[in-house]
Amino acid sequence: MGLKLENVSKKFVGKQAVDNISFEVDKPSVFGLLGTNGAGKTTTIRMLLGIIKKDTGEITWNGKKVERKSVNFGYLPEERGVYPKTKIYDQLMYFAKLKGMSPKDADEAIKKWAKVLKVEEYIQMTAEKLSKGNQQKIQFMTAIIHDPELIVLDEPFSGLDPVNTEILKNIIMDLVKEGKYIIMSSHQMSSIEEFCTDILILNKGKTVLKGNLKEIKEGYKANRLEISTDTNIDEYIKNFNMDIEFSKNNEYSIKINSEENAHQLLKKLVDDHVVVNKFEIKKPTLNDIFIEKVG
Amino acid sequence: MRDLKTVIAFTIKDMAKRKSFIISTLIILILIVIGFNIPNIISAFTEDGENLGEEKILIVDSTNLFEGTLQTLNQMDLGYTFQIANNDISFEDIKTRIEDKDINEAIIIEQKDDGTYKLRYIVENMTQVASVPEDLINAINAVYTNLQISKLGLTQEQIASLTPNFEFTIEQTEEQEVSGNLGVIMLLSIVLFYAIYFCAYQVSSSITTEKTSKIMETLVTSTSPRTIVLGKTIGIGIVGLLQICVIVATALISAKTFLEPELLDAVLDMSKFTPYLAVITIVYFILGYFAYALLYALTGSTVSKPEDIQSANTPVAILAVIGFYLSYFTMMNPTSELNQFAAIFPISSPFCMPFRIMMGIASTSEIVLSIIVLIITILIIAKVAIKIYSNAILNYGTKMTFKDIVKVYRDKNN
Repeated sequence: MGLKLENVSKKFVGKQAVDNISFEVDKPSVFGLLGTNGAGKTTTIRMLLGIIKKDTGEITWNGKKVERKSVNFGYLPEERGVYPKTKIYDQLMYFAKLKGMSPKDADEAIKKWAKVLKVEEYIQMTAEKLSKGNQQKIQFMTAIIHDPELIVLDEPFSGLDPVNTEILKNIIMDLVKEGKYIIMSSHQMSSIEEFCTDILILNKGKTVLKGNLKEIKEGYKANRLEISTDTNIDEYIKNFNMDIEFSKNNEYSIKINSEENAHQLLKKLVDDHVVVNKFEIKKPTLNDIFIEKVG
Repeated sequence: MRDLKTVIAFTIKDMAKRKSFIISTLIILILIVIGFNIPNIISAFTEDGENLGEEKILIVDSTNLFEGTLQTLNQMDLGYTFQIANNDISFEDIKTRIEDKDINEAIIIEQKDDGTYKLRYIVENMTQVASVPEDLINAINAVYTNLQISKLGLTQEQIASLTPNFEFTIEQTEEQEVSGNLGVIMLLSIVLFYAIYFCAYQVSSSITTEKTSKIMETLVTSTSPRTIVLGKTIGIGIVGLLQICVIVATALISAKTFLEPELLDAVLDMSKFTPYLAVITIVYFILGYFAYALLYALTGSTVSKPEDIQSANTPVAILAVIGFYLSYFTMMNPTSELNQFAAIFPISSPFCMPFRIMMGIASTSEIVLSIIVLIITILIIAKVAIKIYSNAILNYGTKMTFKDIVKVYRDKNN
């Protein structure tokens, strides 16, 4: 059950956009689709939404082949767009009707989501009068108004202030609780780490890493030490052949080869009566893993 | 089908609600009403409601050459009111009377030294009247001739036999007979061309607006590209047709209400506007609109920036202008083979055939052939336009070249 892509490829004139990728989202959750610009994320999304045809492979939703006519997914594209001179209510009603909703159901859904997203006061205004953030919330409404089972969110948080980011995060978490499948594409690795259980990283159309995010991270050795002291410890770090990534006011982020090495440094500092306020050995972040894989 | 209705309804509502559309339609309607009222407005400003065409001419016949017969000029319906004076009136007096608008012009009859007569035609300004009006010369000559003939003591029959009373008619050697005022037909042809052209152009700008506002991505996940193109084309076409109906109805009502019936009949032979012609004109408007609107949908989908619309649409504009001029110039010789060709050739037939029908020279087989050719052309354009639209709408970036468009057409994306 759920969404399944098997050996999917797509070639545009002279360019292999997506090369034999496979992944599965088999339970309600947020799946992270990552990659640099031009890695093939948007092409993959367009194929799974049925907007463009794949060359090879198979895409199924609940065991049935995905075709644009047969699915009713929700989509928040990276390219934000609204009709600038049309009333927000009218354009939401238009998209809701195109998604098969009755005017009555659409009206109820518009009012409900306008309240949740705190845009009730703008609903009778033309889109051009709204701020970029509010326009984005309207487009998010367009993606979820028809209560789809699978929602594709491409860079959902870009352009939102912290308050609105929080509102959207809560909604995404609620949607997963309600049993929705969400595919999220983002360059904000912190967001991916916060929401996604599984990820796939694309580079030049090919899969370079995929799997459960927690398991992926656990598979990596610790590579960073964060330490805070009362005095300058540059000499100690140099003597232990470590590289300082970042330092400010005796707070250090240091690259380490092994946890053992970090413990020896700590022992030396304690022996020399250097006051250590913070000592934390860290595994690579998703950002580190991403850069390692596609950088 | 449900989606198509939704797209049509949204397009109609969106178009009809636009301020620019409402304002431009209102301005056109106001201009039409004002235009048909111009004769009334002019007469309202003319003193005592006098007819502007009735110019007052003073004829000074101090030598009494015409022996009082000049009064008969007033019965000749020449469009002038004549005042006759047999006393000597100086040039200065005439100048004053013209300046006071008492008279518009004057004719002074003078005998020259050699005994012959000279008629001096006095006007206020020669920039308006370059020479003595021909009808005036003929009328005065006729009055003088009649005066001299009557002095010969001829009988009424003899006088009548001297006056030519021929009946002139015009006939043609070609079998097809052309009827209707060609000037008016050409004017209506221009109206039909602009109606089709500007309605079709709206499709292009509407599609580019959706691309530039990046709404397209959401739209294509909601319904098929075919539905979007057809829904938009039909929606804009309905609004355009309604707009034209309102404009034509306003023009006809204004013409009937504000124009003198004689003036209206002189310009427009209303008997030519049969319901059949109205239906045929609407059919050709719809078909012509579809052909050009779908071409514009194609060009509109190949650009991403509003500033590129103009250059992308140029090929379609050139095609439309060629079609229009092919129709327009051959209409001056409507029985020519080239005009027959223009009535069947799909890029010109919408601007040509309704007027061949109006002139009564189009055969039923010609009409059927013309409509079939146009429908086949529309189907071919629709197939190509929808395919290119489907593949090009998600392309953002620089304007596509012809080579890119061919590539996109061959792409198997959709």
